Amino acid sequence: MSTDVSALKRTSVACLVLGLVLSLDARRVVTDAQPAQSQPAAGALPLTMPNKEDSLKFAVLGDFGTGSKEQYQLAEQMKRVHEQYPYNLVILVGDNLYGSERPQDFKKKFEDPYKPLLDADVKFFASLGNHDDPQEQRNYKLFNMDGKRYYSFKPDSKQSVRFFVLESSYLSPDQVAWFEKELKDSNSDWKIPYFHHPPYSSGERHGSDPQTRNALEPLFLKYNVSVVFTGHDHFYERVKPQKGIVYFVVGSGGQLRKGNIDTKTGLTAAGNDRDQSFMIAEINGDEMWFNAISRQGRVFDSGSFTRRK
Amino acid sequence: MASRGRLIVIVTALLCASIACTRSSAPADDSKAAVPGTGSSTPPSQPVNEDAKALAGFLERVNQYVTLHQKLENTLPKLSKESTPQQVDTHQRALTKLIQDARQDAKQGDIFTPEAQAVVKKLVTKIFSGPDGAGLRASVMDENPGVPNMKVNSRYPDEIPVSTIPPQLLEGLPKLPEEMEYRFVGNDLILMDTHAHIIADFVPDTFTK
Repeated sequence: MSTDVSALKRTSVACLVLGLVLSLDARRVVTDAQPAQSQPAAGALPLTMPNKEDSLKFAVLGDFGTGSKEQYQLAEQMKRVHEQYPYNLVILVGDNLYGSERPQDFKKKFEDPYKPLLDADVKFFASLGNHDDPQEQRNYKLFNMDGKRYYSFKPDSKQSVRFFVLESSYLSPDQVAWFEKELKDSNSDWKIPYFHHPPYSSGERHGSDPQTRNALEPLFLKYNVSVVFTGHDHFYERVKPQKGIVYFVVGSGGQLRKGNIDTKTGLTAAGNDRDQSFMIAEINGDEMWFNAISRQGRVFDSGSFTRRK
Repeated sequence: MASRGRLIVIVTALLCASIACTRSSAPADDSKAAVPGTGSSTPPSQPVNEDAKALAGFLERVNQYVTLHQKLENTLPKLSKESTPQQVDTHQRALTKLIQDARQDAKQGDIFTPEAQAVVKKLVTKIFSGPDGAGLRASVMDENPGVPNMKVNSRYPDEIPVSTIPPQLLEGLPKLPEEMEYRFVGNDLILMDTHAHIIADFVPDTFTK
């Protein structure tokens, strides 16, 4: 079993972060010491995605449903990226609605900010965070959960990919057994789990979640998972590959905990705890590319890696 | 009575695996035979321990609650995959009211009797005093401020996030019907009706904060 992700290849194009040209192997963390731009960048975004015709293109968003000005501004960037880079899928890593979940909240915290994407037939597939009411959200048509609290799906794509959507706050024996069976039965090249609580994170507020890691990591390793998307900590972090697996924390879609990345953990490959952000990713064959984009329209992390085999 | 006997056997198997640990060193073949529901590993003459009895009784009371829940929910329009947030919300709040009205006299300890509470506390203590205990406790208490003056049959507060539940605890506690789940509110373990968003019962002060 090779561990190709350990040879994480980073494109240098997007290494311009606040005027600093960083080496390919440098840890990139945008922290409080580096103030964000006051105005979004104008013009085309400097995306570094291959944008191949038959690739699977998707976005990753988490911890977003606040209804705040910042959420709407990030949603505007998602629309802008979509115009330039037409992804048709958004995976949601939980905390989809904060506070009350009355019908008007679904409109204000989801349908209104992402209306341009919904109108463009972009599909959102939700996982449940600790702020989410399962009964309300699993039955919400636009979250595509089909009435289930955990599920898997194969996106409409020529690429061999299956997503596994878990409810990490309630890892019952039934759910874990289901997950293992789904992994075992899947013949997809890319098996991509996503859920809310991060097995690895440098968050001072939450940080790595031991119970999620203990319950799930053995299965990731056994069934050749290459990449895992999570949220919960309110920033962006690309964790250095752990046992050959790349972990992303993308809890920066609306909530933000400024200065919360603990740089002493040694886990961080790149991070941004200074501005709201989301990710786009692209799979073509055995390769995955990614860009992380801030509310200000800055591409602050990018790279690619090869799946484990 | 037959179903009660089966429940006791199931809970005995669960407890042997999770609390008493008397079979932890048993050969693999023997532990396979202890799969809940088979009953083949429990000789008829084996005494059923008091913890198993307590949890069997707890499960019976949960099932009685769920029977009531289902009877009341069946009086409401059914939700579909096409339901709007308005329909889901209306359904949930109507069910909340029906259950609250039907259980006006419900009080703490009705489902988690003192005997069941003691077993739950024993299990939580065992898990939280283990090698991963500190991390698990921190995870449970993450964004979990508790609710002052929590009452049985009240709506789970909309503004309070739900806690995580350690997988080890879910392995040790009886499996609940789809309508119900365990959560922590502060250090109280609650039995939550997820369809109605109601606290059906709780075990206070399950562990030291």
